[in-house]
This record gives sequence, C-alpha cells and structure tokens, in this order.
Amino acid sequence: MDMREITDNIGTFKPELVPKETGGDIDDYEDALHVLMKFMGSMSSALEQVSGRGANAIVYQAGKRMGHDAAKMMEKTDDLEKALFEMGEVLGHEFYYVKWKPSEQDSYVIQKDNEVTVKLLFMDCVVRQTLRRTGLPQKGPLCYLLYGYMVGAVEEIMDVKGKLDIDHVGPNACLKTLTIKWGGK
Amino acid sequence: MVEILIDEDACVGCGSCVDDCPNDVYKMNEEKWKTEVVNADDCMACLSCHEICPAQAMTHKDIHVAKRLYIDRRVNHVLERMI
Repeated sequence: MDMREITDNIGTFKPELVPKETGGDIDDYEDALHVLMKFMGSMSSALEQVSGRGANAIVYQAGKRMGHDAAKMMEKTDDLEKALFEMGEVLGHEFYYVKWKPSEQDSYVIQKDNEVTVKLLFMDCVVRQTLRRTGLPQKGPLCYLLYGYMVGAVEEIMDVKGKLDIDHVGPNACLKTLTIKWGGK
Repeated sequence: MVEILIDEDACVGCGSCVDDCPNDVYKMNEEKWKTEVVNADDCMACLSCHEICPAQAMTHKDIHVAKRLYIDRRVNHVLERMI
C-alpha cells in the first residue's frame, strides 16, 4: 500500500530569521491540539499506573519549574492582589481565573497568623479540557501541573512559600484555595 | 448574579444536585419533591449539577462558559447531520 500523499502544501522553503508563515489553518491547529491532549492524557494515566501517587509529585515538580521559569521576568511584589494580577499574566487566557468568596464572607483575602488564603475560581483551564478530551477524571496527576505552576509562579513573584488546594472540581470551573505563608521560605 | 432555572416538569427529584453542590445552592422541596434554588448568590457556575442531573433540568444564565476546545468539531458536524 502506498504512503498517503499530501499535495496541497507544495512550495519553496527558504531559511529566514523570523518565520512569517506557520503553514496550516485552524483545522491543523485543532488536530495538533487534540493530538497533544491525547498524548498528555495518555502520559498522565500511564504515569499514574506506574508510579501511583508518586505521579502527582512528578507532575507537581514539572509544573513548579514551569511556574518559576514563567514568572522570572515578572515584577516582584509582596502585595497579594498585585501578585494575583501578575500570575494572571503568566498563566494567560488558557488559565483564566478570578477571586471568589462565599456571599456571607466580607473579604476575598483571609489573614490568619502568618498565613494568607484566597479562593480562586479557575474558569478556563487547558488541563480540564485535556482530561475531558481523554475521558480522565479531574483531581488526578495532571491537575497537579496547574497546582505546581501556580505555586512556582507565586513563589517566584512574592518570594514566599505557597500551596494550592483543590476545593471542588466541575466541568465549567474549579475552586481552589491559594495559601501563602509569610516567612516560610 | 447567576440566574438558575429548574424545569420542574423535567426534575425527577433525585437530589443529586443537592448532594453535589459544594455551596448549598439547592434544596429539596419536600412538598413538591423537586429541587429548588435557595442560594443562587453562592453559585460559582462550576456546572457539576449539570453534569450529575439525569434529567438535564437546569439552565444557568449569565455565567462565564468555559472554552470547550476538547470538542472535536468534525465529529460534531457528522452528529448534526445524523440527528
């Protein structure tokens, strides 16, 4: 059987410093995204099968490294509100989140001893979409990627110790609690 | 503010949404044996209730609908032609 032939992208290729054309259209981007989602889902479930709960630690570490790298160029601050804005820039539109509080609570930020907590509602999340694409449950190892990413970014921007707990996961939004510990680093 | 509509004709009174909602947005009306919305202010539009409702009896209005890039559009086009 002959190999599949692709004839619609015959052209000339010249080396260039800044490539002007990516080639492909929205369907190609969609295909690439879905293939990557399937790869990620498959890797996550295999990792969990082989390493058990250790999978969470591995993915968390990968996310944390990404968070530190991504936030390196961001302005350092010890103001949580400003840091949350900066982190929104780091995470981009694919991880769109807002602060959230129950209606009876007065303030978004709760200070207790040397800890500050704020609830974050993640509305758009590539991790959630990947899990839905591959039929995997939420709160698995892949969710730890975002956990690590967020913690890495907050540690880099505020120079404090941080953690992100998953309160609730849903198909449209996930509620998480970000805790930062002053003087904990 | 989120507006939540319950289709009382569709609701089967299973109470899954009442159990699943982390913010106690719903309560079971024990006279009608149907779900009712009692705390819409605390709804964060996670839509867990939509996922768990066996009767698809809910509608959420004025919420941020997350991107659904996981949907395979070509599969959807085929399904649209079939349905």
